[in-house]
Parts: sequence; C-alpha cells; structure tokens
Amino acid sequence: MMDAMLKNKSRILLLAFALSLPMIITDEYWIRILNVFYTYAVVALSINLIVGFCGQLDMGRSAFMGLGAYCSAILSVKLGVPFALAFVLSGVFAGVTGAVLGFLCRKSTFDYLTLVTIGFNVICQVLFLNWIPVTGGVMGISRVPPPDFFGFTFDTNTRFYYLALAFLVCSYAVIRRITKSKMGRAFEAIRDDSVAAEYAGINVQYYKILNFTVGSVFTGLAGSLSVHYSQYASPFNFTLDESIYQLQMAILGGLGSLPGSLVGTFILVVFPEMSRAFYEYRLLFVGILMVVMMLYFPNGLLGNAGVGERLIGVRCRVAIRRQLKAGERNGRQ
Amino acid sequence: MLLQHMINGLSIGSVYALIAIGYNMVYGILELLNFAHGDVYALGCFVVLGLITAGINPIPAVAAGVAAGYLLNMLVERFAYRPVRFSGRVTPTISAVGVAYIMRNLILKVWGPETYPLRLGFRGTRIYLGGIVIGTLQIYIFFAAVFFMLLITIMLKKTKIGQGIVAISQSIPTAALLGVPVNRTISIVYGIGGALGVIGGILFCMYYDTIFVGIGFALGTIKAWMASIIGGVGSLKGAIIGAMILGLMESLVAGYVSTLYKDAVIWLALIMFILIKPQGFFPSQIAEKI
Repeated sequence: MMDAMLKNKSRILLLAFALSLPMIITDEYWIRILNVFYTYAVVALSINLIVGFCGQLDMGRSAFMGLGAYCSAILSVKLGVPFALAFVLSGVFAGVTGAVLGFLCRKSTFDYLTLVTIGFNVICQVLFLNWIPVTGGVMGISRVPPPDFFGFTFDTNTRFYYLALAFLVCSYAVIRRITKSKMGRAFEAIRDDSVAAEYAGINVQYYKILNFTVGSVFTGLAGSLSVHYSQYASPFNFTLDESIYQLQMAILGGLGSLPGSLVGTFILVVFPEMSRAFYEYRLLFVGILMVVMMLYFPNGLLGNAGVGERLIGVRCRVAIRRQLKAGERNGRQ
Repeated sequence: MLLQHMINGLSIGSVYALIAIGYNMVYGILELLNFAHGDVYALGCFVVLGLITAGINPIPAVAAGVAAGYLLNMLVERFAYRPVRFSGRVTPTISAVGVAYIMRNLILKVWGPETYPLRLGFRGTRIYLGGIVIGTLQIYIFFAAVFFMLLITIMLKKTKIGQGIVAISQSIPTAALLGVPVNRTISIVYGIGGALGVIGGILFCMYYDTIFVGIGFALGTIKAWMASIIGGVGSLKGAIIGAMILGLMESLVAGYVSTLYKDAVIWLALIMFILIKPQGFFPSQIAEKI
C-alpha cells in the first residue's frame, strides 16, 4: 500500500518536473532535443511491446514510422486534411499495414519474421525513394504544417513540447495498461514459450497479430507527430540503420521494462547531441553496446535482473554482510 | 536477350552461392542468424585491398585475407556468440547485429564509404556465342562455387571433424556426451564460414571490379540469407540452387520489370515464398526442435 502510494507520488513528481522543464531550460536547442526524445520514446515503447513483451524480433520498425510520417504528410500537404484527422488516420494506416503484415507472418517462426520485417523495411525504403508522384522521391515532402488543434497551432518548440509530452504520457499509460492486462500476459506467455502458451489455451496467432497491430499504431502515430514537428518527410530517416538504432533504444533500457525504454531512448537521443565525436561514432558505439549488453546484461538497464536490480542486489548484500559482522561482534562480546 | 539475362543471372547467382555456402553452414548447424557474416568477410576483403595497395603480390594477399576471415570469425564466435549460445533466440541475434555494426564501422573509419577498384592482376576474357556474351570469369566463379560445395560435402561426410559438425547440428548435449569437442568444432565451423566468405567476397569484388563497404551487409548477409531460405536452411546444395534462383530472379526483374524497384520486387517475392514454402526447396532432414 505504502509502496503504491510512494510510486504514485514519484510519478506525479516526475510529471510535474517534466511539465516545468521548459521554464527551467531556456535554450531552444535542448527543448528541441527533448521533443525528439519524446517522439522516439513512443517508438521505443512500441518496439518494447513487440520485441520485449511478445518476443517477436522486429527489425523494421522505422518502416512503420515512415508509413505514419508519409501518410500524415501527404494527407495534410496534398489534400489539406487538418492535423488531428491526419494524425489519427496515419495511426490507422500504420496499424492496418501492421495487421496485414502480422496476418501474413502469423505462423512464421522467429527467423522468418525477422527477415520479413527487414524486407518490409527495404520495400518501404524503395517506395519512399522511387514513387515520386506520391512521396516526392529523394526530395521528400517539405512544408508539412505544424500540428494544430482547432485553431491553436503548436508552432514553437515550447508549445510542441507539451503536445509531445502529452502524447508520450498517453501512449505510456495505454501501453502499460495493455501489458498489465490479459492481453499483456498472453504476449509474455507467447514470448516465453509459444507452444506452452498454445496448450494453455492462448490463441497464439491472434495475439501475435494483435501485438503487431497495436505496436504499429503507436509507431505510426509517433511518425506522424515527428513529421509535423520537423515539417519535412525525408526518405533517409526511415532506413534499416534507423530501425536498428531504435531497437537498441528498447534493448538498452531493458526489454520488457517500459521505464527502461524511456531511459534507453534518453541516452541514445541526448548523448549524440552532447558531443560531436559521440555522434560520429554512434553506430560503432551502438554495436559495441549491443554485444556488451547481450553478454552481461541481456535484460538491459531496468529489466528483470538488469543492471538496476544488480546494483540494488549488491547494496543488499553489503548491508547483510555488515549486519552479520555486527552480529558476530556482538556474539563475541 | 532472355538468354543473356539468364546467363548474367546465373553468374551473379554463383557469386552469391559462394557467400551463401559459408553462411548456410553456420546457419544450419547452430540456427543462429549470423548477421555479422557479411561484415566480417567484408573486413577480410578490405584487408586484401590494404595489402594489395601496400604493394604485396595478390596471391599472398588473398591468402592473408582468407586467414584473416578465418581468425576474425573465430574471434567473434569466441567473444560474442559462445557466451550467449544457450540464451534463447533474441539474445544471440542481437549480439550478432552488434558485431555487424562494429565491423562495418571499423571499415568505415579506416577506409571510408568510397568505392575502390580491386585489381588482382587477373582479368577474364569474353566468349561470344551467337550474340550472347559469357565472361570466362563468370565460368570460373561458378566452378569455384561448385568446387567448394563438393569439398565441404566431402569434409562433412568423410572426416572426423565433419562428422562432429553433423553431430553438433543434431544435438549439442549428445555430441558432447559422445566426446565431440563442441567448442572447438563450432569455432572451426565459424572459421571455415569466414574463410569461405572472404573467398566469395573477393570473387564478388572481381566480378564487379569494385570494393566498397556495402558488400558486407546489403550484398552479402542479406543475399546469403535469402539464398539459404530459398534453398533450405542447412542444405549446401540448397544454398547453391537458392543463390542461382536469386541471381536469376534479380537479373530477370531488372531486365523486364524495373531496375528501380528491383529490391522491392525481390523482397516481395521472397516474402510470398516464405509464406508458401517456409522450409525452402531442400529442407534439412532434422525436425524442428521445440
């Protein structure tokens, strides 16, 4: 009981801190980085839902981000659809595509799913680059209007900050709710052993499709928001490298841990901005990080038995040892 | 014209085949998606390039490159795959992706993203057969692929270490109980895979007359993987035939459909193929392990 209240309190404090950040940070540049962080955090959460909770190694997440982004950009630039509708429709579009792909892969085993998602990313990349009448080819789509809700335009960095924060908080709440529900338990059962899950009466194929669809909706929405923020849809933002980088965000924080995804995204978005050298070597760094994490902390920073819990474990052990020693001393006296 | 496209396709296919053999051997035995295969052999090929630019005779340079591929893949296996061998599917795969990124970025840091010519002092001539052009190099590459396939098949069937590899591919604990040195054998499998990859990569570079960092992942790992899946995981014959089919498909699609959408069409076809026939044309005889 106390624990839950404490948790709630710390959550409210964190939210208040996030809300007051634009007043503390006056530098526009850092606000912009935080905005990028919030949108990517949603992508990392959706990856965590698919890879961390359901165990489906999806390596083509940025394709769905691209689908959402292009859908939203085309709708609002070429057809003049208002932001709110374009935003929702891009989520629906990405979700439907995800459902179709999930349906096709419903029986696929591990390797094939990874291959199919990589292939899907390549196909999307080729389409973005070459379908010039629709996607604008290499030039991309520019002059995407900034998000606005019924006359209120989120055109400055600070205004967008609140929109992105609200989006992240809502997505986090929904994904957290999903993972705590029957659906989330089914996902985890499939991840741990799909054959056993099937024997336990879980409709594995249905839940796999559902998992893919829900994840894709969030990725598409994040893509839409990011394109309205940068006001430019570029085909080079949705490559396979980008997918791997996003995957690493979820892995670094810990597969199966939602706060972990936020931490992982924060590290991989903010650190490259802090130093030029880091930015240049970021893919090398990500490679080394991937191997080292898998060898020593396969559950990431905040996952089960991850770095966080190990640190706590060390502290507990030290405390226990100290007490034992104290006990020995007392016994001698 | 159709015949010419088919000949081109087969010769591209035979290059893919050499890469796919090494890949499929590892893939079939350990069921690890070796994402790093292409980038490891790319590093080996760049070692060859570096030695040749340093003025060393091509033959020892290639030999050194092959040895580098062998050692590099062994090292990678020792430090990145062996510790996670028994921790599910996701963990080793991600570790392999990480290795791929390390290798690729090492190449990018040393040699940059430029395209270099790779001159081995060996040029094929062309044979003209009633309007069709066949390069002699293409024929050599094809026979090299078949030669290595036969060599490995004989090694698997006739030598002690080959039988050890077969035993490991069926069950690691049983193989260990029967006295097969599991770790050493697996490390040799990786070494051979890396060495074959470098040979394939060098032939690939000779075929296109260039070397650049993309030969690793986009043209190596991915094509080898596609070929393995078309042919059947774990089957050497399947790897060669799958690579030929892949080459033919690429050449025909580029010739008759569209060069711009070639990759998209190939991927689409492959995805459809996976959905229809996930075991490939020559499935290995081992049942899926639960």
